[in-house]
Amino acid sequence: MVSAMVDVADVQGNILQGYRHPRVRHLILSVGDAAEARAWLGATVSGAGGVPQVTSQAPWDEKPSTCFNIGLTFEGLRALGTASQSLASFPTEFVEGMTARALKLGDIGDSAPERWPAPFDKPRDIHVIVSVHAKEVADLDRVQRQALQNARTFRLLGVREGFNFHGDYVHFGYHDNISQPRFAEIHDPEDYPDPQEMAPLGTVLLGYPNNFEGLLWHVPDPVELGHNGTFNAFRILAQDVVGFENYLTEAAKYLLTQAGVDELLPPGAETKIGAGLSREAALREIVAAQMCGRWRNGVPLAVSPDTPDPATPIPEKQLNNFDYAANSSCPYSSHIRRTNPRDAQIVQRVANNSRRLVRRGIPYGPPYDPAKPDGVEAPERGLLGNFIGASLGAQFEAMCTDWVNVGLQDPRVTGSNDPLIGANAPETGWFDVVLKSGRTFRLRSLPRFVRSRGGAYTFLPSVSAIRYLGSLGK
Amino acid sequence: MAGLADRFEQFVKKLPETKIMKFVAGRILVPIWASRTPVKPQPGGPHYSVQSGDNVQRMMNLIMPLKDKSAVGRAEAALAIAQNKDEIYAGLDNVGTVHFARFVIVGENICMFSVYDGDFTNYIRDFIATIGCVFDAVVKLVEGGDAVIPSETHVEKFIDWVHAHDLYQVSDQATDLFRDIEAVNGETAITRDLRLLPRDLILQLHVNPNVSLGSGYRAYPGYSVAEVRKQFGIGW
Repeated sequence: MVSAMVDVADVQGNILQGYRHPRVRHLILSVGDAAEARAWLGATVSGAGGVPQVTSQAPWDEKPSTCFNIGLTFEGLRALGTASQSLASFPTEFVEGMTARALKLGDIGDSAPERWPAPFDKPRDIHVIVSVHAKEVADLDRVQRQALQNARTFRLLGVREGFNFHGDYVHFGYHDNISQPRFAEIHDPEDYPDPQEMAPLGTVLLGYPNNFEGLLWHVPDPVELGHNGTFNAFRILAQDVVGFENYLTEAAKYLLTQAGVDELLPPGAETKIGAGLSREAALREIVAAQMCGRWRNGVPLAVSPDTPDPATPIPEKQLNNFDYAANSSCPYSSHIRRTNPRDAQIVQRVANNSRRLVRRGIPYGPPYDPAKPDGVEAPERGLLGNFIGASLGAQFEAMCTDWVNVGLQDPRVTGSNDPLIGANAPETGWFDVVLKSGRTFRLRSLPRFVRSRGGAYTFLPSVSAIRYLGSLGK
Repeated sequence: MAGLADRFEQFVKKLPETKIMKFVAGRILVPIWASRTPVKPQPGGPHYSVQSGDNVQRMMNLIMPLKDKSAVGRAEAALAIAQNKDEIYAGLDNVGTVHFARFVIVGENICMFSVYDGDFTNYIRDFIATIGCVFDAVVKLVEGGDAVIPSETHVEKFIDWVHAHDLYQVSDQATDLFRDIEAVNGETAITRDLRLLPRDLILQLHVNPNVSLGSGYRAYPGYSVAEVRKQFGIGW
């Protein structure tokens, strides 16, 4: 990965391209001694003194066994002694922090920050989030020991660990991590067939043009701190798999009672959905597909509306090769269409490609096994999500406030929330299953399947910025 | 004795309406409260709501003090709007979430009042992306405007600036207070008693002379621009 426009060796890794290590451990830290923390940061640039070296986006011949990256909260920048003039140059949403933006993000009720467990119950104490990526737990342990070798430098407030238990599949059973913004300066379009234009570099890095023509996000001062940095919404998202599967069953049973269900699933078409499936089981999968916009194996409804296994198999590389023409088979309320409407007609005409995010997520908690239902004390399972973009306000928050929830982008979904990740409640939640004729079946009593269980807004500084922060006070 | 007590009570009840007490309350008591409990002017606009229907048809009351407060300054503002009216209206149409918008000169201020759907920052950001460079011609006539233009390269600052100049919206509960008292006490409620207003509202009014009282009336609450346009068959 070489770019003439950006020095990729100055950009922290996992931003422009994912590592695809199967394990991640996030260490949530509070600065204990500011001078030592600054020295530690400076040392991470080269890996001096046995401190892990920060992994950049520089190309590698051989994938390293571990990768190490650093995110800083606003309180963290302050704790490190960043000048007040510099702090004042960061955007409001980052300064206020994730918990202050809870309403905008749909973090209400059970998802409200007041309900978050430690260490996220004391957001101002969270200064640094270190992320270690590796194949083996032993490697995670080793890097953690190296990173925290001096007990005075940081206080370890908490640990969150994720594991890719089944490739890119997540707990709800969907193939995830298919669609990501790609960058003309970084990626070869031949490798990523997709009618959606490649994203400008300013989508994910500060200091470059973004998708709004003529608009530039402010680069925090001084330029060596802000340039080539970006922002991250780190989210711990618990997934109610049992609730989700139960809802699919209820929805299928309801649909079976509706006149016109044959338009949704013609008699005999069950085998197209899956070998040996009953009519109810096939309808469950249709509802799951319409909620997501893809069948659970990742095949997009826009390309294959009738079956997850088309006669001519769709190669993995082609899973993003579609758009949302007026007659698209992808329901307008589906998760992937709400969060990235591509070229679909939307209300906010200038916003089509402006809210794209780099997503780096990994499941946590034990996989759900329907053959072994959870006991009374159900284990928590979900996703450790990183939603990365150069503007939290223009991308992550904009997507959450008006698209994921409220549904302003299309009058046919206004007043509803994203069926998978929205802040739904059974009293008000609904989702329209769309038929080929354009008719809809409205599914009501849609509950919330994804709850927030913690998170923080972090700044992902460039390697130069880490060096700069390490030099403060000298 | 009973007659004396009654007369005294009547005297005390009428005290709040006397000129001397109004002077004492407004010029002495409230400033003392404010010095003991300093409050900042609240940022403008409505809070984001848990209820989906409350996040459409939101009011923006943007009050921008003119640099030149003379008739000439007001004329310049009127000219800036007139010269750019078509672009501004086309831009508002393109933002897609604006129900109504109008420009008004009130005293020494150029004001933009609008009703929009969704998140305030998204509205202003899309507005900048659509017609920021045109609107700069208006903002440059306003106190503090030079620091946030060109808006296209000061996006975050511009949004914060507009937020600060949007009128603080007193919550609906606060403006419903008298009605609540009536609901509890029926006809015996004293609905004109200023002393019953919450102190934080009084303190906010002390530092913030212009506020919006509640979120306003809506003839068809809960519907977005696009829903209305779709229903009328005029495209969205």
